[in-house]
Amino acid sequence: MSRRVTASLSGKAAIVGIAETDYLRGTEQSILQMVAGASMAAIKDAGLVPRDVDAIIPPPGYVAWDEIAAHVGMADVRYTACPQMGGASPTAGLVTAAAAIATGLAEVVLLTIGWNGYSALRPRPDARPNNRRFTAAFFDVVKNYYAPYGLRSPPFWYSLYLQRYARHYGVPAEAAGAVALACRRHAQLNAKALMRDRPLTMQEYLASPMIAEPLRKLDCCVETDCAAAVVMTSIERARDLPHVPVTLLGGAEGHPNRPDELVNRKDILDLGLDLAAPRAFAMAGVKPHDMDFLQVYDCFTYVVLLELEALGFAQRGGAGDFVKDGNIELGGRFPLNTHGGMMSQGHCWGMNHIVEATRQLRHAAGPAQVAGCKLGLVTGYGDLGDGSIAILGRDG
Amino acid sequence: MDTAPQITAPRPDELNLAFYQATVAASQLCVQHCTRCGSWTHPPRYFCPECTSPDFSFDRVSGAATVYSYSISHFSVEPAWKPLLPYAVIVAELAEGPRVIALARGMAPGDVHIGMPVRITTERRSDEFALFWAEKA
Repeated sequence: MSRRVTASLSGKAAIVGIAETDYLRGTEQSILQMVAGASMAAIKDAGLVPRDVDAIIPPPGYVAWDEIAAHVGMADVRYTACPQMGGASPTAGLVTAAAAIATGLAEVVLLTIGWNGYSALRPRPDARPNNRRFTAAFFDVVKNYYAPYGLRSPPFWYSLYLQRYARHYGVPAEAAGAVALACRRHAQLNAKALMRDRPLTMQEYLASPMIAEPLRKLDCCVETDCAAAVVMTSIERARDLPHVPVTLLGGAEGHPNRPDELVNRKDILDLGLDLAAPRAFAMAGVKPHDMDFLQVYDCFTYVVLLELEALGFAQRGGAGDFVKDGNIELGGRFPLNTHGGMMSQGHCWGMNHIVEATRQLRHAAGPAQVAGCKLGLVTGYGDLGDGSIAILGRDG
Repeated sequence: MDTAPQITAPRPDELNLAFYQATVAASQLCVQHCTRCGSWTHPPRYFCPECTSPDFSFDRVSGAATVYSYSISHFSVEPAWKPLLPYAVIVAELAEGPRVIALARGMAPGDVHIGMPVRITTERRSDEFALFWAEKA
């Protein structure tokens, strides 16, 4: 029964509009202003007007669906939902949107996210107080069990399992470095990338200061102020709109047991994506090696290695062989994060990965274009280990 | 690390408060112990993950553990930790099963390795919080 329901989602909905703000370190714009701006731009990119949008999937924090509706101007919102899984939320949202579209609950869905990931950490002395927060259940676990040991932010939580990954499987720093270098190289082709004009060598990567072993500074993504949005609709309506539809062929979410606490999982390296990836490939009826590109959530380089293993490109601990010799760079077999990713374009909770995947499948990715691509995937990754995946295809 | 960090103790609530209160009162690590099936669970949960029973007590564990994973911090923005860098935090797997996070004591960060036997002790920081230490067994 459940298999038939999920199979029925494949090919039913498509991404028809995309937009992203600039990726900035410091902005005068508020989060709401950036989110509203990206939303309006995505609706226009779809060849639609705000009144055409009848469903909103807002970010899991900072901004709510009703203020988006009010500021952008949706007149009749008949469906809202909000996946609560941090950086896995945008990609999981694509499946939620497709389900709403396929069942007739909604026809045109706006998905958006944005934040001031740079400016919030550096408030001006004259900044006015506001209630724009992101919160999650695992914050309680952090407060009671991790923060008392100085483990107060993601690199330190992640080191608790990435150190086991690096040591138990003997994953060399150069494997993580290959991910950092691929993202940085691709960012040189992207006018909007924060790390454009800042090329990186393996020597520079290895010399970058250690933060929490095995994580160096250059294993971490960049703090960013930004927003992005996408619009989805039915495949039938999508074919009447300006751009080539980018169809959701498969998608799924998965969560480690237990989702809110890291160290008491059966294996500390259990990922939500281990569970989600096979479900999504089954729904799409394709295999990992059918992909023309990979947009993989890159909060940390080592997490990308773990995700590549969860996707089926290597056994646990073996992704180092997959990422070497340019295999994940443009020109290689599986170009990864062709926009620069969160490592080198900017951190937009992976919505920028969905935007880039859509650009690729429209064949509108400029100098980063993967020639003739027809099929690609996007992953999402949320603290502490939520996984989501979407397999997208060029229509026709 | 041999110096105790000057941290602000958290103020836990619900089951986490009960867990820390039991541990502080016993001056020894006390972990949630299912009354029905005898399994040990950490952090505490309202229903036993093994048998769904809501009945439990917080009972003393031996303190015997092995290093399952660890973190070595080389950077901190917190005044309590800056002077102690680099320092090791250990994910210790208790003989009873659950894993706890503890601060390494009496060993250089570079000496910590997976599988190393350690002993977990507690240091009272308030009526409702104790810091956990991991020492060479």
